Amino acid sequence: MAATHERPSAREIFITLEYGPVPESHACALAWLDTQDRHLGHYVNGKWLKPEHRNSVPCQDPITGESLATCLQAQAEDVAAAVEAAGTAFENWSGLPGASRAQHLLRLAKMIQKHQRLLWTLESLVSGRAIREVRDGDVPLAQQLLQYHAVQAYTQEEELAGWEPMGVIGLILSPMFSFLEMMWRICPALAVGCTVVVLVPPASPTPLLLAQLAGELGSFPGILNVISGPASLGPVLASHPRVQKVTFCGSVEEGRALRRTLAGKGAELGLALGAESLLVLTEAADVDSAVEGIVDAAWSDRSAGGLRLLIQESVWDETMRRLQERMARLRGGRGLDGAVDMGTRGAAARDLAQHYAHEARSQGAQVFQAGDSPFFPPTLVSDLPPASPCAQAEVPWPVVVASSFRTAKEALAIANGTPRGASASVWSERLGQALELGYGLQVGTVWINAHGLRNTEVPTGGCKESGSSWHGGADGLYEYLRPSGTPARLSYFSENLNYDTFGLAVPSTLPAGPEIGPSPATPYGLFIGGRFQAPGARSSRPIKDSQGNLHGYVAEGGAKDIRGAVEAAHQAVSGWVGQSPGARATLLWALATALERRESALASRLERHGMELKDAKVEVELSTRQLRAWGARAQAQGHVLQVAELKGPVLRLREPLGVLAVVCPDEWPLLAFVSLLAAALAHGNTVVMVPSGACPIPALEVCQDMAALLPAGLVNVVTGDRDHLTRCLALHQDVQALWYFGSAQGSQFVEWASAGNLKPVWVNRGCPRAWDQEAKGAGAELGLRAARTKALWLPMGD
Amino acid sequence: MSARNRGTELDLSWISKIQVNQPAVLRRAEQIQARRTVKKEWQAAWLLKAVTFIDLTTLSGDDTSSSIQRLCYKAKYPIREDLLKSLNMHDKGLTTAAVCVYPARVCDAVKALKASGCTIPVASVATGFPSGQTHLKTRLEEIRLAVEDGATEIDVVINRTLVLTGQWEALYDEIRQFRKACGEAHLKTILATGELGSLTNVYKASMIAMMAGSDFIKTSTGKETVNATFPVAIVMLRAIRDFFWKTGNKVGFKPAGGIRSAKDSLAWLSLVKEELGDEWLTPELFRIGASTLLSDIERQIYHHVTGRYAAYHDLPMS
Repeated sequence: MAATHERPSAREIFITLEYGPVPESHACALAWLDTQDRHLGHYVNGKWLKPEHRNSVPCQDPITGESLATCLQAQAEDVAAAVEAAGTAFENWSGLPGASRAQHLLRLAKMIQKHQRLLWTLESLVSGRAIREVRDGDVPLAQQLLQYHAVQAYTQEEELAGWEPMGVIGLILSPMFSFLEMMWRICPALAVGCTVVVLVPPASPTPLLLAQLAGELGSFPGILNVISGPASLGPVLASHPRVQKVTFCGSVEEGRALRRTLAGKGAELGLALGAESLLVLTEAADVDSAVEGIVDAAWSDRSAGGLRLLIQESVWDETMRRLQERMARLRGGRGLDGAVDMGTRGAAARDLAQHYAHEARSQGAQVFQAGDSPFFPPTLVSDLPPASPCAQAEVPWPVVVASSFRTAKEALAIANGTPRGASASVWSERLGQALELGYGLQVGTVWINAHGLRNTEVPTGGCKESGSSWHGGADGLYEYLRPSGTPARLSYFSENLNYDTFGLAVPSTLPAGPEIGPSPATPYGLFIGGRFQAPGARSSRPIKDSQGNLHGYVAEGGAKDIRGAVEAAHQAVSGWVGQSPGARATLLWALATALERRESALASRLERHGMELKDAKVEVELSTRQLRAWGARAQAQGHVLQVAELKGPVLRLREPLGVLAVVCPDEWPLLAFVSLLAAALAHGNTVVMVPSGACPIPALEVCQDMAALLPAGLVNVVTGDRDHLTRCLALHQDVQALWYFGSAQGSQFVEWASAGNLKPVWVNRGCPRAWDQEAKGAGAELGLRAARTKALWLPMGD
Repeated sequence: MSARNRGTELDLSWISKIQVNQPAVLRRAEQIQARRTVKKEWQAAWLLKAVTFIDLTTLSGDDTSSSIQRLCYKAKYPIREDLLKSLNMHDKGLTTAAVCVYPARVCDAVKALKASGCTIPVASVATGFPSGQTHLKTRLEEIRLAVEDGATEIDVVINRTLVLTGQWEALYDEIRQFRKACGEAHLKTILATGELGSLTNVYKASMIAMMAGSDFIKTSTGKETVNATFPVAIVMLRAIRDFFWKTGNKVGFKPAGGIRSAKDSLAWLSLVKEELGDEWLTPELFRIGASTLLSDIERQIYHHVTGRYAAYHDLPMS
């Protein structure tokens, strides 16, 4: 930046026509820091909390290194105090009518409006991000978020009947996420009646300022509490018994670690991991506009991460030329300068980028840097060998990694071939191609011919290792709700559970006496790929009836069988996803009819397991009803959003998760199996199911009908030792989601093991569920969990 | 002016594959205004520079020799002498880039400028301005007459019918003929972008006009309902860059119509700087067609120098 030179005269500038500094005064930010004597604590229960004997860290100007303030580092007892305050506030806050909460959120929006200059100068000063982005983007959006969620609170009793707020929410932000990420999450939480404790990294004053603004509204002081502390405090907050849900924004590895730490602790976990985005530039694109899209994505201070850029080979040279030309005109500098594209993030971000660029170069890549930046310039990496470590690693800010593709199909294969799945844009003027790519990309958000658009009403989230938590729109609200009447989440953590050995070995089974009874021979084998197969272990386990007599043998499935079942399920995915919802409904209804025909056989099987015949018949009837109900619901998926500031629709799609593994409960052996199966299939998933351990035979009976009716591989049923099968499924990297209904220990193990590919899991924590009740057996919760949302932005205009 | 654009053979492949995404261009247009700004000395210098880009224009039915004379005087002395002095710019011979009038007023303008002893070029609109809906023969004759009268720059309007019906060869031929009729005079081609229907058409018409040998491409006549807008300008500037990359010829850009405030003019300068670079920021390659803009710039300069806002009588009228 030219600020350090002597100021040129107008006469000189007349010749050079250079840009000059456009400094935004940050006097009000400093004045605010002065009100705290340049010493920031935590904001808890409507008051500043500045406990003694704590370490403190300096909050520095990222460009000059000048110390702006010192910030106290919280310790475990400060976390406890904050959770306590939030817990107390929850009693009042959640009991309020939605209209009153709406009122309060609106007051906070007004409060932000009144102090917006303070907010944007403070944020830009400390984070080093370009003030234009904070002032014109983040702060107005923060207000809109409060306004939008005020409306949601207002209509909550009506729109969200049957759901209740979870309780105290723990939100953990890592340094690369700004105060806006906090707003995206606290707004829905507060709107539905939750209260929040936010753990922010040291030296991030903006969230503290927001908490103070909220606190100064007077009423309900404890609903938003902000403490700052080191990352090591995250697990402390997350494991606090009063925290019902933890939302974590940070890196993938931190998220994985937190997932493991939190296994069995009772709290729900929502993860938003990584910040890399993707841009697919086809030969049918407006290349100049796509280049601006790249600038938006990587070099405009909107996104916290880098960009992976896929360019069609036929326009590679043209794109590179335009991109490099454009890079040369980018301006970097002090964030508080009103005419820079990129501000100056802290040293940590620079080191990360530097390291990446260095590594990429040493691995054979071309590194192009341009633009005027005193700190770290916009960086374009190309020719990175696909197998090199850098090509696998997450791309950091402000790096763009370009690689080429030949066809749209190849672009999809490359794009979907990473563990990340947050957001992507597709640049093509050909509608058919754009939609093909938009639907095919496995990410949470797709923009067609745009990048980085956002709106309060549009759900934003991800899949795969980007984590599956959502913010914005209705999806954002459900993150902080649970079905009414669900008991509070308590820890079921068992110290004794050995993750290394849980379910590792299968106890051997021996012949268990004579098979008694008049019933027809039980179906035998594992139902994989559409037919009954012998288990790999070539052994069986006896199933006893309620009298203790042998009911029959079922196959003893093992790791290899699970592998085969998952493979079969994967092969069935594309066929089943391609089916129209109507076709899916037809198959589910056909299965229901088949079940009805089998009613007496099924009822007698259930009777042998100790049910009254009357009840057994009810269970069969309920099961057929579930199949029909979910079949009918298959047709009502997704909808279109119209959002402000965008001409054109945003499609909220509900896409299948992929291969869904389901470990069914022992209770309601037929009904639970069928309910879970029906919900999963209706949403387009293929499944690998482990039926009830005590009573698996009704499920196998149903398989006989599925063999005849359903495409091979769509449903796979593996019997055997439940712990062992659970272990195999939970550790399987290519299973996209896992529902587990079994023991507390099993639940804990599933949560722990899911950290491997960060698959979404749903566990019952050892508590049985009333499958015969509408809310539990067929409720919206099941539908929510059976599919994932994708937002597809379609700007229009000619 | 710099080396003239000789034009090229018509090559339709340069426009056949072009894609312009309108919503994306609109977003870019918004950003460019939000992301660049100049203050203080920079603002003063940029505003003075903007003055040198102005084609000071009067295109009214009631123009007479006296109003033309006043316009020419203002073109020669665009900013009050004492203001220039305090910026140490009084010895730069600061004038507007040209004056722009109707063909029938070219004589008046040439005479007035000669009388005041300055070499500011006179530009004339021509070819059935502003609609272009007259016979080709009379349109060509209009150009020749204006050149005979002493106009050294001719702002022609294109035939929008040819664009809207996709007759690119015919458009190319017409502009070729305009170019020939101009002789030594520079050809500035007005695309009347407000009437072309889409940004893709704007790009195609720009490219055809440049292939046919236009020295400048100009957004609008100032008489359409939509005049110089940023999205249109972005598309035209990108076409100019593409043409430069293909042929090595630099073609100038002239937005006109609706540019009234000093702030607008700064945004136009940074737009050109961002899309094409500093090389285009000379009167040979960049003009702003305007009539009232100059007085607003002068007011801003007054404020910069004195720290006070000017009253209308503080500055001479044009």
